[in-house]
Amino acid sequence: MFDKVWLIPIFPIIGVLVNGLLGRRFEKINKSIIHWVACGAVALSFIVTCILFFQMLGLPADQRLYEFTWFKWINSGVLHSYVAYQIDPLSMMMCLFVTGVGFLIHVYSIGYMSTEEGREYRFFTYLNLFMFAMINLVLANNYLLLFLGWEGVGLCSYLLIGFWFSEEANAIAGKKAFITNRIGDFGFILGLLLLYTSLGKHGIWTLQFSEVFTHVHLLSPQVATAVCLLLFVGCTAKSAQIPLYVWLPDAMAGPTPVSALIHAATMVTSGVYMVARSNILYSMSPFAMGVVATFGALTALFAASIGLVQNDIKKVLAYSTVSQLGYMFLGLGVGAYAAGMFHVLTHAFFKALLFLGSGAVIHSMHQGLHKVHSHADAQDMRNMGGLKSKTPITYVTFLIGTLAIAGIPGFSGFFSKDEILWKAYSSPHGHFLLWLIGAIAAGMTAFYMFRLVFMTFFNESRVPDGADEHLHECPKTMTVPLMVLAFFAAVAGYLGVPHALGGSNRIHHFLDPVMGIGPGKLLHKAGGTIAHGAHAAAEAVHGAGMHHAAEHGSMFAEYLLMAISVTIALLGIFLAYTMYIKKRDIPEKLANSYPFLYRLLLNKWYVDELYELTVIKPLHGFSILLWKGVDVAIIDGIINGVARIVGWFSGVVRYIQSGYVQSYAVSVVLGTVVLVIYYFIRAIS
Amino acid sequence: MVAYHNLYLALAVVLFTIGAIGAITRRNAIVVFMCIEIMLGAVNLAFITFSRANQSVEGIFMVMFIMAVAAAEAAVGLAIFVLMYRKRGTINVESLNLMKW
Amino acid sequence: MELIILLLCGGLTIIASLLVIFTRNTVHSALWMVTSFFFMAVLYLLLRAEFIAILQIIVYAGAIMMFVIYAIMMLNLRQEEQGPVRKTKVVGVVLLLVLFLELMVVGVGRGLLAIKGPVTDQLMAKFGHVAVLSNFLFSDYVLPFELASILLTAGVVGAVVLAKQKSE
Repeated sequence: MFDKVWLIPIFPIIGVLVNGLLGRRFEKINKSIIHWVACGAVALSFIVTCILFFQMLGLPADQRLYEFTWFKWINSGVLHSYVAYQIDPLSMMMCLFVTGVGFLIHVYSIGYMSTEEGREYRFFTYLNLFMFAMINLVLANNYLLLFLGWEGVGLCSYLLIGFWFSEEANAIAGKKAFITNRIGDFGFILGLLLLYTSLGKHGIWTLQFSEVFTHVHLLSPQVATAVCLLLFVGCTAKSAQIPLYVWLPDAMAGPTPVSALIHAATMVTSGVYMVARSNILYSMSPFAMGVVATFGALTALFAASIGLVQNDIKKVLAYSTVSQLGYMFLGLGVGAYAAGMFHVLTHAFFKALLFLGSGAVIHSMHQGLHKVHSHADAQDMRNMGGLKSKTPITYVTFLIGTLAIAGIPGFSGFFSKDEILWKAYSSPHGHFLLWLIGAIAAGMTAFYMFRLVFMTFFNESRVPDGADEHLHECPKTMTVPLMVLAFFAAVAGYLGVPHALGGSNRIHHFLDPVMGIGPGKLLHKAGGTIAHGAHAAAEAVHGAGMHHAAEHGSMFAEYLLMAISVTIALLGIFLAYTMYIKKRDIPEKLANSYPFLYRLLLNKWYVDELYELTVIKPLHGFSILLWKGVDVAIIDGIINGVARIVGWFSGVVRYIQSGYVQSYAVSVVLGTVVLVIYYFIRAIS
Repeated sequence: MVAYHNLYLALAVVLFTIGAIGAITRRNAIVVFMCIEIMLGAVNLAFITFSRANQSVEGIFMVMFIMAVAAAEAAVGLAIFVLMYRKRGTINVESLNLMKW
Repeated sequence: MELIILLLCGGLTIIASLLVIFTRNTVHSALWMVTSFFFMAVLYLLLRAEFIAILQIIVYAGAIMMFVIYAIMMLNLRQEEQGPVRKTKVVGVVLLLVLFLELMVVGVGRGLLAIKGPVTDQLMAKFGHVAVLSNFLFSDYVLPFELASILLTAGVVGAVVLAKQKSE
């Protein structure tokens, strides 16, 4: 069955072709055809993934690697690249939740996009295309195919952010996302080229994961660090880390299902996936890992601080996503790859849930406001309040998601986030400061998420123009996915209950073979002769980080840190409760007493303005200089000059082309004269 | 026996030049055609001279085929002149510049 | 003897050819061309190419000349049209004179046109003889010979097709 892995990407691309080519017709006949095709394609992919997953579970841990070569893609000199897929615990896990969550969001989109007349097929085509690219990204067995998926998801992200492109702001947001991602991709591709040529110097011209990781010991530490950092540049753009995170909050201009699928659950975690996939490479460079951890922690704190004061419901969630991604990188950076991936998994559930919940709220608000012909902002939390009774299902599911992200014990976020925080402290790469930053960010997360819940669902209604009379629950296609996701958001954490809490941390054991540790060292099998140096290093890092620390480190410390982080989270919730339910004048007073800080946060630390001033303006000026100076004057001048010279010369030569036979005969005579001279010279000499 | 081959060749060159001058200067298409025939005749003369000098019959056959080509050319060429005269009322090669695009 | 006939006929050929290109009257041009070809046939005889000489008279002076005269009569083109001389023609004449000098001085004068071997009487007797030629023509040269006949047929057909077109 493993050799049927190509079925997973083929269904969405069929969906793309069918809906993309015939969608306009379907839209006229019956819109539900589009829905069936799009959702069915993803559902089939999901089913195939499930089958492969359970088949893989049946194998012993050290045999869970299968590489399927579909066809040769590029064959140029020493570069041989294949469209080949890799089945191992990591790719299967990613693929499982990508297709699973993707399916739910497809179903949700049916309800959410029902008001889009004549554009639905476009939306579903893009969504399917995204699924195709994302599946390629996670299943690829080489960096080049991964990069193809990486670019593909970027393209779909751009198309979907600017889905309502008739409004300029949305189109600009799409461009911003695309251009920011280009900067990151530039770093990524440089990293790939460096890796390729550096390994090539040793005669290993390949970008295939198993080959690369088997031969990483050939790389010098400096080169490994450079490769890791360049790849991480790609991650900062794709996974929205400092300094290239700026596109993600603006990406909320797209439809909410897109925000949920692409900008929360799947695409933005591809950077995390990439680093986890390259863990052996990263393990060679403690410096690069430190950079990853530091940037992750800073992003977590920084984005959370902005989230504290935002009023747009989706903006809050966007900054929360950036912050959570920061956590994931923090986990990766301290060597806890499995913990990072665990957080990717739980985050996919609860953040998709939160986004879909916010989408449900926006949908209701929009419908309600539409009824009373109000032009109030359907996404501004200041226009909400008291939705608890109007939209009960949304409220309950949203609350579950919030509890999960806030790290309340028992919900999924608690297990994964706590795991990362514990590793940030205890791992050999960790540091107390990293833990502290993470814990503070966790408190902030709890605060702003509950602020969101309180402002949206509690208190009396602030809905303007009497629209609250018209608010009601969303259709089934929207609420059912919410409930499914809420279930997983609640329980997904039990896959990785840590040892300290009496669990067996199954997800770690599941992923350990990919990380080069534990009983099933997959690359031993794939590579044949694995690099002893690199592998020993990786072993040391992981061993120390994951097992010895956990086993021999003080249990007490783990409990203590857990208690502290939970306390901080509860404190955040209590603060939100006080400020937004009990004494609602506090926020305003605070804003008035610290106007500078408030404005700073409200304007997102003025990062956009800073970039505008330091990067975009000079670049713009330079571009104009190039345009007016170099392009118009020199390059166009050369081209026009050449054209003018050719024109003048043609004007002269034109007279030869008179059309008179005898003139042509003269040309023949000229040729004869020259030829005869040539022959005689040759005969004489 | 003395062979005056160079004289024959010189004669051929002179005839060729005369024919060529006529071909590029005269305006009447038929005269141009006749001048081309003179050029062909000059070439024929040269061929026969070479053929005899080299004690070979190949030149003679070449001349025969040139004559065949000339005859075919005469037939087609004169037919074209007739047609052209019917269509355009002239066979002055200077008033015909159809080859100019 | 040969030299005298050669110089005489050669000179007459040149004079006749010059008259072809310098006579304004087209019919006169045609007649001077016949004269020129006739003297050329004498030169062929001098070169012992009797068969070619006969062909020259029959094909050129006979067939092709009839075509030409017929065309001139049909088109009623006795007089050539007048007009200014084109510069390209002047250039062409100059170039042709250069070519003439090249061929005469370098080619003929310096004997670079490779001529070799004495001509024996035995050979001279055979050269250009119809019996000799026909042996070659129907053995070694049979394919070009047949091709030439096809070419002539095509020429005749082409001429008929062209000339038959109705004028509008």
